Amino acid sequence: MPKIRVMPTLLFKDVGLVKGVAFDSWRRVGSAMQAVKVYNMREVDELVYLDITATSDGRPPDFETVDDLADECFMPLTVGGGVRTVEHVRRLLKVGADKVAINSAAVEQPALIREIADRFGSQCVVVSIDARRRADGTYESYTHAGRRAVGKDPAALAKDAEAMGAGEVLLTSIDRDGTLQGYDVELTRLVSDAVSIPVIASGGAGTYAHMAEVLREGRASAVAAASMYHFTEQTPLAAKQYLRAAGFSVRL
Amino acid sequence: MGNLDSVARAIEECGGRPVVTDRAAEIESATHIVLPGVGAFGDGIRNLRARGLDEILREHAVVGGIPFLGICLGMQLLGTRGYEGGVTEGLGWIEGEVRRLEPAGEDQRIPHIGWNEVAFTRASPLFAGVDTGHDFYFVHSYHLVCHDKEDVVAVTPYCGGFVSAIARGRILGVQFHPEKSQRLGFQVLRNFLAL
Amino acid sequence: MRSIRYCASCVMPETKPDLFIDGDGVCSACRNYERRGAVDWARRRQELQAIFERYRSKNGENYDCVVPVSGGKDSHFQTIRLLELGMNPLAVTATTDHLSAIGRRNIENLKRQGVDYIEVTTNPVVRRKINRLALAQVGDISWPEHVTIFTIPVRIAVQLGIPLIVWGENPQNEYGGPAGAAEDNVLTRRWLEEFGGLLGLRVSDLAGKEGLEPKHLIQYTYPSDEALRRVGVTGLFLGYYVPWDGYSNALYAQAHGFETYPQPVEGALVNYENLDNAQTGVHDYFKFLKYGFGRATDLACLHVRRGRLPRADAVKLVQMHDGKFPWVYLGTPIEEIVKSIDMTLDEFIRICDRFTNKKLFECDARGNLVKDRDGNLTKINYDNPCNRWRWSTTEWETSTRWRAPSRNAGAARS
Repeated sequence: MPKIRVMPTLLFKDVGLVKGVAFDSWRRVGSAMQAVKVYNMREVDELVYLDITATSDGRPPDFETVDDLADECFMPLTVGGGVRTVEHVRRLLKVGADKVAINSAAVEQPALIREIADRFGSQCVVVSIDARRRADGTYESYTHAGRRAVGKDPAALAKDAEAMGAGEVLLTSIDRDGTLQGYDVELTRLVSDAVSIPVIASGGAGTYAHMAEVLREGRASAVAAASMYHFTEQTPLAAKQYLRAAGFSVRL
Repeated sequence: MGNLDSVARAIEECGGRPVVTDRAAEIESATHIVLPGVGAFGDGIRNLRARGLDEILREHAVVGGIPFLGICLGMQLLGTRGYEGGVTEGLGWIEGEVRRLEPAGEDQRIPHIGWNEVAFTRASPLFAGVDTGHDFYFVHSYHLVCHDKEDVVAVTPYCGGFVSAIARGRILGVQFHPEKSQRLGFQVLRNFLAL
Repeated sequence: MRSIRYCASCVMPETKPDLFIDGDGVCSACRNYERRGAVDWARRRQELQAIFERYRSKNGENYDCVVPVSGGKDSHFQTIRLLELGMNPLAVTATTDHLSAIGRRNIENLKRQGVDYIEVTTNPVVRRKINRLALAQVGDISWPEHVTIFTIPVRIAVQLGIPLIVWGENPQNEYGGPAGAAEDNVLTRRWLEEFGGLLGLRVSDLAGKEGLEPKHLIQYTYPSDEALRRVGVTGLFLGYYVPWDGYSNALYAQAHGFETYPQPVEGALVNYENLDNAQTGVHDYFKFLKYGFGRATDLACLHVRRGRLPRADAVKLVQMHDGKFPWVYLGTPIEEIVKSIDMTLDEFIRICDRFTNKKLFECDARGNLVKDRDGNLTKINYDNPCNRWRWSTTEWETSTRWRAPSRNAGAARS
């Protein structure tokens, strides 16, 4: 089996990295370059880099910044934010992305996933799904950095994306994001069970135990985290040591 | 086709002087050739043929003996034919077909994304200084099925086991991404550059 | 290209980590300062005394607190104020990276105010390696100093059984430190990570690099949570309990023998701070490269908030002095600094470029940074196009470039 992947997420807004809570209250946390270099030093499994206002700003991905960061990044890199055309994907792959994450465009133009998968292969298409829990316990998907409801539940959205050729799902719980209170395990399980492509759990990691929980109960293939690494002393390496001791197969 | 920049950067870090090109003149004067690849088989081979690169590469690698390394799709293209998106003829330097990975258990998800073991089936200068069973980074849905066991250097236990590295003389291929596999990946690149 | 937005009240840009600019265009630091008028300082003074009472040595056999000091103007103020308030502090200095002569003289002057003093100097050979690693990896040559400012006093506190640590100013002005909390106020590791400003790099990342081993990093190692709880180590920021002002601290310190520099320090606007470490010029420069503001901006903002400098003058001074390439700092040339950390000037400049946030500076058509004859960069804008616009936050965020508002949302005032 491929090892469980433990990956940090970097959120980029305008000029630098930010962290938020439930996709709001964005707090500027410093330069992207130094974060990339630190994680590179630590040889993390993978890095996720998302430009969170590209779509709302109506602009394309920032190829120049990705190029600069990718030059310092000798580990697998997934880049998302503002990806709307095949040409965007081609350019991002060229400057160093290994996989490209698509969020708003996946909903607005589902055929785009097919186009990209046909041209570049499913393995480089990550469909990024952001979800909130409704009062009745069901889930709603969102695009545009959590501002527009899609009207479809995340499991159905993931299934459709898989049918179109997506290779992986990056699933983020908007409610839990930045709260350090734990992943939304139920949400993760619903989506993991609905598809046969890998699912990366994201949003809410606060402790290593949270990661074990979402891997075990949520059936995720990988765990993404940001606030946890940024605001506490916990590190991806220590997370993997914990997970190994808990019986998971990780790369150490 | 794919992330040329990453491979170039990695080669640079390993002491090589990479030139990203599709021009015959530059390929001619190269000491080593690397064919990276991210993408689909059909698209990949069409791109090569459209620029006459299949012939140029054959001339230098197969005939001329210049050390050649195919990475991911670049390794798959060496096969006889591929079954991704229809049937397409590959470069044919290695006898074999490129087929889709088939899950061998309920939990096995395709594409194969992440770090997985590379177990050597025979010795190769490509893996000098690397022990068998270590993890390298994979991201693919298809794999090359080799007809000749002698071409196989390493396998990975997933989806019933698939070939993760090949070697035929100085024609080498790896299914994983050495430029993304950090320390061990760089060792592989250094070994290649030392040929 | 999107322009840099500045506070309408001071001259801080929005790129500063943890800074918010509100709907009126005023930054959170200015708002914090405004709130000072409403603070009941007498009440805070009482709280401070209550904390002192709680933690001072009961029988005079141990110090009442640890006061981390550098020998600078704030260190002088903190130490003297503590003595005046009847405390018996142990002054602790973690020796700085490249101590200047004036820095040494000021340390000696601080001792003469009448305190026991411990100076912990880390292995300079190791230190230089860490300076270089940190510069290359996180673009902060002073990272080891930032670590030891926290670790060394806390280690001493644990080792000597002194629970209270009194720091000076916390950048998050409204935060007084955990000592004031009735419970759960121990300075655990988690606290350090959140407030220590360590840029994500950790001491554990260094082991194995350049021959560094854990045994070389003892002084950089924060005590265990268990040891911290055993002694009950806690801390407070004096800057929360008294109305803090760096300039009045400087006046107070000078009156007690603190020596200032003969002219304004390079890249800054004043001659009374950051006099002890020749590497500070590099540290400040990288702040400028990453975030578009340096020491001159910091100082200008402090003075603007207190009404000592009109904003328009501050803009001009910042443009003149902020973020110049640090050819010389406190009289020490850059060549000497980079040589001491085993780097060439070319390597140094490459690292500068790598950490530069190109979005903030002028670049040529091929995307390369534009530099003048002295290697200085030019920011894309040094002030807001017009300071008196009052835009709502969403309007600003949804515009992709500045343009005059065509609607009635915010009347134009100029």
